[in-house]
Amino acid sequence: MEFGDLALLGFGPEGWGKVLVRAGLMTLAVSVAAFLFGLGLGTLVAWARIGGNAVLRRLAEAYVVVLRGVPDILVIYLFYFGGRQVVTAIGTGLGFEGPFDISGFVAGMLAIGLISAAGQSEVLRGAYQAVPKGMVEAGRVVGMTRLTLFRRVIAPQAMTTALPGMGNQWQSVIKETALVSVTGLVETMRQVSVAAGTTQEHFLFYAAGAAIYLCITTVSDQIFRLAERRSLRGHPQGGM
Amino acid sequence: MTDAVETKAVGPALSITGLRKTFGANEVLRGIDLSARDGDVISMIGASGSGKSTLLRCIPMLEIPDAGTVTVGEDSLSPKGARLTRAEEATARRMRGHLGFVFQNFNLWTHRTVLQNVIEAPLFVQNRSRAEAVDEATALLEKVGLAEKRDAWPAHLSGGQQQRVAIARALAQRPRAILFDEPTSALDPELVGEVLKVIRSLAEEGRTLLIVTHEMGFARDVSSRVVLLHQGQIEEDGTPEQVFANPRSDRARAFLSGHFDRTR
Amino acid sequence: MDFTFLGGMFANLLKGLPLTLNFWVLSLLGGGTLALILNLMRTTRIGNAVAAAYVFVFRGTPLLIQIFMIYYGLAGFGFVRQSFLWPFLREPYWCGLLALILNDAAYTSEILRGGLRAVPKGAVEAGRVSGMTRFAILRRITLPLAFRQALPAYSNEVISMLKATALVSTITLMDMTGIARAAISETWRAVEILLCAAAIYLAISLLVTRFSAWFERRLSPWQFGRTTP
Repeated sequence: MEFGDLALLGFGPEGWGKVLVRAGLMTLAVSVAAFLFGLGLGTLVAWARIGGNAVLRRLAEAYVVVLRGVPDILVIYLFYFGGRQVVTAIGTGLGFEGPFDISGFVAGMLAIGLISAAGQSEVLRGAYQAVPKGMVEAGRVVGMTRLTLFRRVIAPQAMTTALPGMGNQWQSVIKETALVSVTGLVETMRQVSVAAGTTQEHFLFYAAGAAIYLCITTVSDQIFRLAERRSLRGHPQGGM
Repeated sequence: MTDAVETKAVGPALSITGLRKTFGANEVLRGIDLSARDGDVISMIGASGSGKSTLLRCIPMLEIPDAGTVTVGEDSLSPKGARLTRAEEATARRMRGHLGFVFQNFNLWTHRTVLQNVIEAPLFVQNRSRAEAVDEATALLEKVGLAEKRDAWPAHLSGGQQQRVAIARALAQRPRAILFDEPTSALDPELVGEVLKVIRSLAEEGRTLLIVTHEMGFARDVSSRVVLLHQGQIEEDGTPEQVFANPRSDRARAFLSGHFDRTR
Repeated sequence: MDFTFLGGMFANLLKGLPLTLNFWVLSLLGGGTLALILNLMRTTRIGNAVAAAYVFVFRGTPLLIQIFMIYYGLAGFGFVRQSFLWPFLREPYWCGLLALILNDAAYTSEILRGGLRAVPKGAVEAGRVSGMTRFAILRRITLPLAFRQALPAYSNEVISMLKATALVSTITLMDMTGIARAAISETWRAVEILLCAAAIYLAISLLVTRFSAWFERRLSPWQFGRTTP
């Protein structure tokens, strides 16, 4: 049969269904971990670019430029192979023996998180700059402290602008996790490759993998749209 | 006559001495001395670029003057540098708490309802209780004629309505003085009247007001004092009769004849 | 700092530069053309649905899966193996190029769509009211304005595609990343090799950034504070 035996996707004894679902969950896990790491780091980088001194600002700018100019797969390799080199050096230095390894999950999360942080910092910076200066002045003029001003005026306003960009960043992270397969971590990409190689039903399993990613990205898209609609309450349709 | 306004028997509500400000190559304020007692209603008029808005914005330190001192009630600030130090910022915040400021472009927080706009400062800056803040806000919204709009979004209100909300927001701080930066300049002509009516009623209550405006008729009828600014300096400072009917300087005469409806 | 090693490594990696550039430029050209076609399709209802589905699939799945699907997946079909396309589709080069083109087309068509939407209706109306033909309006008003609006987003896409070309190394192609991988398995000095490769990619993307900033300024000088072109 040309399109592959669909039973292979099922949950029976011949079926790869269960392991595919597990792999999909692993994709989600790496994505969430990387995205959150990127969010934390991205916030710091955005803050450095907005309010830091000249040195910090230059460093943050350089960070963004570098991480956006280098292929993601190289960064992942760097963390994976490089991480192994580092751990090996430390290990042998400390007197331990034997092959040293670094978790594909950790390498992937750090690498993708670092890349995502660069993109997220740009989104956050743009959102901050888009907050109407008048509203910020109105907050300052009633005597708000900088923290209160941020909490009550800047953050809520910036969020509306930031959500679409953050949605894009999240989608990118999901797709980048496929690259972590090169480390051997059993997420969706790796799992479907293994299944395809074993059963020689390449089209079937790559299609299944594509379907898994489409599921995750579609559901994510709906969630972000919902959040965007909610944050727009009070704004006239189509912007201010 | 005055309600919920702190009046001190001693000292002016607000005073400015030796204020200077330069933007780039442009010296916008060249040494301003001005003081306002409680109950003064001062209109500031002058040509575009004369520095009136800059002067007003310097009072709550929205712009940092290059030289001079601003005193609000018991707090005084003479900024030393281009940015405020932490101590100066704390003083500035205290001063701002005693000043209401109404912007030309209203600057309502669009992500909050009308009522939420008015209770924001009382809750988050002055730490009053929610019940107290809401009660007072409701009364203020009634006073400016917008009680039924308390749960509306600013974006759904007309310019005149938004500005009235902005005035209620300023009043909610229980300020010693209220500063108005061209409050009607951004409004369509038919909406100007409703805002001027509210400001007039505040003046009649005996509140201390500082209004930068182009509305000459309003300035003449409502103010207790008129200050004319020209190229960063005070050209005239007197009662409306003195300034409008008998301007002393040629420049004032030129400005007024160009801007005033002669038939009034 | 083993400079002889690094020097040799750079020379080695640069041997993959022609292939990288080849993939990069051709995928942008092919993707751009396909993107124009996709946008033209959007003027009909069925065409719009097809284009939307296409964009949905290619933007919602990782490029890596698209590459594997084309290289490994298509080979499983008898009718593919017997078609005239087989001499191409059995070669990793053409599979990789096809995947990159299809992927780029999806993103570029959305960028173009955004640019077209941003053209102010008033500008088009002014053209109509002065008697321009529909084609003239498209050529003199719509496309130039859409292009200027899309430029920042498109320059991001150009850099994205440069980075995307690195993925063809996973199907045995010896672009710069492919050479790097091979070198790593030989010498195990991963960090140095990867940093060298990263530096080369970074240099190229910096050139692109510079150029596109210059290009934006040339096309829209009024946006950057210049009063004369």
